[in-house]
Amino acid sequence: MNDSPVSAGDELLAHPKVLLVDDDEVNLLLTSTALRERGFNITEVQSGEDAIEMLARWVPDVVVLDAMMPGLDGFETCRQLRSLPGLGALPVLMLTGLDDEASITRAYEAGATDFFVKSPQWSLLTGRLRHLLRSSRTRLELERSKSKLARAQDLARMGSFDWKRGHGGLHFSIEGLRVFGLGPDSVLTLRSTLRMIPPDDRHELLLVLHEILRQGSVLAIDVPITLHDNRHRIFHIEAEPEFNELGNVCGYTGVVQDVTDRRLAEDKIRHLANFDTLTGLPNRRQLLWRAERAVEFSRRIGHLMAMLLIDLDRFKMINDTLGHAAGDELLIEVSRRLRSCVRHCDHAMENSIEALGSHSHRTLEAVGRLGGDEFVALLPEVADEGDAERVANRILELMREPIFVGGQECFVTASVGIALYPRDGTSVADLVRNADVAMYFVKSEGRNDAALYHPQLSGVGKRRESLELESALHKALERNELVLHYQPKIDVRGARMVGAEALMRWQRNGVLVAPGDFIPLAEDTGLIIPMSEWAIREAARQSRIWRDNIGFTGSIAVNLPSRLFERIDLVEQIHKACALYGVPHNAIELEITETGLMKDLQHVIPSLHRLNEIGVEISIDDFGTGYSSLAYLTMLPISELKIDRSFVRDLGMTPQSSAVVTAIIALARSLGLRVIAEGVENLRQMDVLHRLGCGLMQGFLFSKALPPDDLEIWLQKTILPRKAAWIGEVGSGGVTGEEASVSEWRAARAKPLA
Amino acid sequence: MLNERLPHPRDSQPPSERPEGGAAEAPTADVLDHEALQRLRALDPTGSNHVMERVVKAFETSVGKLLPQLQSAMDAADVVSIRHVAHTLKSSSASIGAMKLSKMCVEIEAMILRGQDEGMGEKVAALAAEVPIVLVALQRMIDNNP
Repeated sequence: MNDSPVSAGDELLAHPKVLLVDDDEVNLLLTSTALRERGFNITEVQSGEDAIEMLARWVPDVVVLDAMMPGLDGFETCRQLRSLPGLGALPVLMLTGLDDEASITRAYEAGATDFFVKSPQWSLLTGRLRHLLRSSRTRLELERSKSKLARAQDLARMGSFDWKRGHGGLHFSIEGLRVFGLGPDSVLTLRSTLRMIPPDDRHELLLVLHEILRQGSVLAIDVPITLHDNRHRIFHIEAEPEFNELGNVCGYTGVVQDVTDRRLAEDKIRHLANFDTLTGLPNRRQLLWRAERAVEFSRRIGHLMAMLLIDLDRFKMINDTLGHAAGDELLIEVSRRLRSCVRHCDHAMENSIEALGSHSHRTLEAVGRLGGDEFVALLPEVADEGDAERVANRILELMREPIFVGGQECFVTASVGIALYPRDGTSVADLVRNADVAMYFVKSEGRNDAALYHPQLSGVGKRRESLELESALHKALERNELVLHYQPKIDVRGARMVGAEALMRWQRNGVLVAPGDFIPLAEDTGLIIPMSEWAIREAARQSRIWRDNIGFTGSIAVNLPSRLFERIDLVEQIHKACALYGVPHNAIELEITETGLMKDLQHVIPSLHRLNEIGVEISIDDFGTGYSSLAYLTMLPISELKIDRSFVRDLGMTPQSSAVVTAIIALARSLGLRVIAEGVENLRQMDVLHRLGCGLMQGFLFSKALPPDDLEIWLQKTILPRKAAWIGEVGSGGVTGEEASVSEWRAARAKPLA
Repeated sequence: MLNERLPHPRDSQPPSERPEGGAAEAPTADVLDHEALQRLRALDPTGSNHVMERVVKAFETSVGKLLPQLQSAMDAADVVSIRHVAHTLKSSSASIGAMKLSKMCVEIEAMILRGQDEGMGEKVAALAAEVPIVLVALQRMIDNNP
């Protein structure tokens, strides 16, 4: 910036274009010769008229004009030249032989840049011309950089100002006035500027200004301004002191810039970092920050604070049935209601809180969204637990109002857990955890209520554990932690394994997790779907192994949730799994509970038909516990009824149980369905079942569910040597009995295999 | 004459280094100022641009136009035109080293500025007489310094 214009200027000055105007041929020749020899590029004309005509078409770097000429003399030529467009700043050197004051004055008055007394000492003329060109170049650069600066300031909505102590007052540049939305001729005094600032801020600014002036320090401050058209803007003002020769501050120079857009962007960024985009409520980060501050205040001042953890009941169901858009809509409405329950303050943010004085902790009060359908109400100061309970009850009350989402009226309830500082925890983490425990207690007690934390609730508070379990279950599949165990289906007469039920087990960190501990969770979270799909593939794989190892051709039953039957790709999945391992479709049997079947009957039936068509048999699990429509039962393409273990358990102890079992067996027989009893644990149950006409059983009497390798060992050690206590009990008929049962079974098939 | 000239010594700056009376009494060969000629030659040291010849030619052309103008201006008593001729001839004659001629022009111009008519006729006649002397001297100079 400092060097370039000068060097660029010198570059241009290497061959400056000179228009030489002189009526005397001798001087014209001599001057032009001398100047040419010194590198100037000379154009000669012999009269002022010719010069003016030429300048209308062409602009030299400098004009050298003889003052005394016939016709248009130098002065008049100069005057006319100046009025030509764009030539206002063209350097003009007037040559004069008359070095009297009058000519010099006349030359300047005519607009000449400089004068030169004619002399044959050419180096003097060259020197003068070079100086003239250089200063003209510098002036041009200055003009350019000045207009560049003005433009840059304009773009940056920035302008400069200065302030002189005493009489001078405040003065804004044109750009500075424009920042205020004022024209170049406007006058903006210090007083009228201050009037554009809201009173509180004005007062604050004046205090700052006095202090800065006293210290002679630098000013840098953001000020809210209300412009004349009532627009609200934020101006950044920065100024440096100027000192007089005595070292005292005599004024300030600085810039004023409209930083409203930048501030808005900054606010937006801060907002995004601290507020939930869906509901506009403080997010987890902001909420925990507020909670930390509230705890600090409570500790210092010694009052109680409360944290309410609010979890919507059955939100997942709404999300699943009405879709995520409706779920979002619902969350927004819930947020709106929650806000109305507390003195919600949006503005408490980092750094601003301390400045607000002794009651500033009240501004921390807020409802925030922790995530999902979980909210927190932070009450920075409560008199007692009754205060907190009142807020909780207000929340429950508001939730009970129906909410319209997705064109439907929804009823949403919430469970609220309350923890108080310091009683229920002295850190934010403790408070959140204990509010969570209390909330989970409400859930377990039937939801739609609020509860204060109490240490005894902690035993109930399995929620955290189950959350961990849930996230671990997500990973169980990819980590291959799931395994299938198999319980044999036994034809007791023939003492043969005719099939097996696959039961899912979770091998978590070397420990087997009970199905009751993770299957309901899998169903709740929807993980049951991928898990079941995996089970189908795994069963097909095992079928292949057993066909190869032990010649087992029976089917392996996989339990499926009714939801999976609704999936149109179920048939395709089974086909793929069987094809992958080269086993027939009937290697896989599917079990669906009676309850599940009846619940989703309409959606399940098409699937059942398709499955039946490709040879996959369907077994109705837990039969007798649900409310089957017998009319439907006759129409369903099913192959097997499984007598629920509850009836089997009571067999031989209550006459009712055997009556139910007798009825089921009769029903199955009349519908041409196979019947199998599960949960057979002793010989008495086995005997009764057999006598009633049910020859297929599974239960601990025969074997619990075993890993596949163990099952092979069991077959080798128990079935083949016919060593078990139950063998022979009903098999007195010998080998023929086995054949009979098999043929009986075959005959009992409702439909032939595809 | 000398008294009239003295108040304006700076008008004839180029020859001011020499004693003022010297040029007037100088023989014809000294009609042209040596230093002025040196400066002219310095413009074209090798002579390849024929600056000298062109300057002399330009001077001849110039006086060829100026002398008739001067004559008709005298006839019409047009002092403005007389002054213009004197002014132009003043600087061009100084440039080619014709200092006596240049001084004559200075005197005429000064008289006009003062509004003095007396003796103007002789002055102009003297100037007209000096011009051929200068032209001859110039031609001789060129012939001697090709």
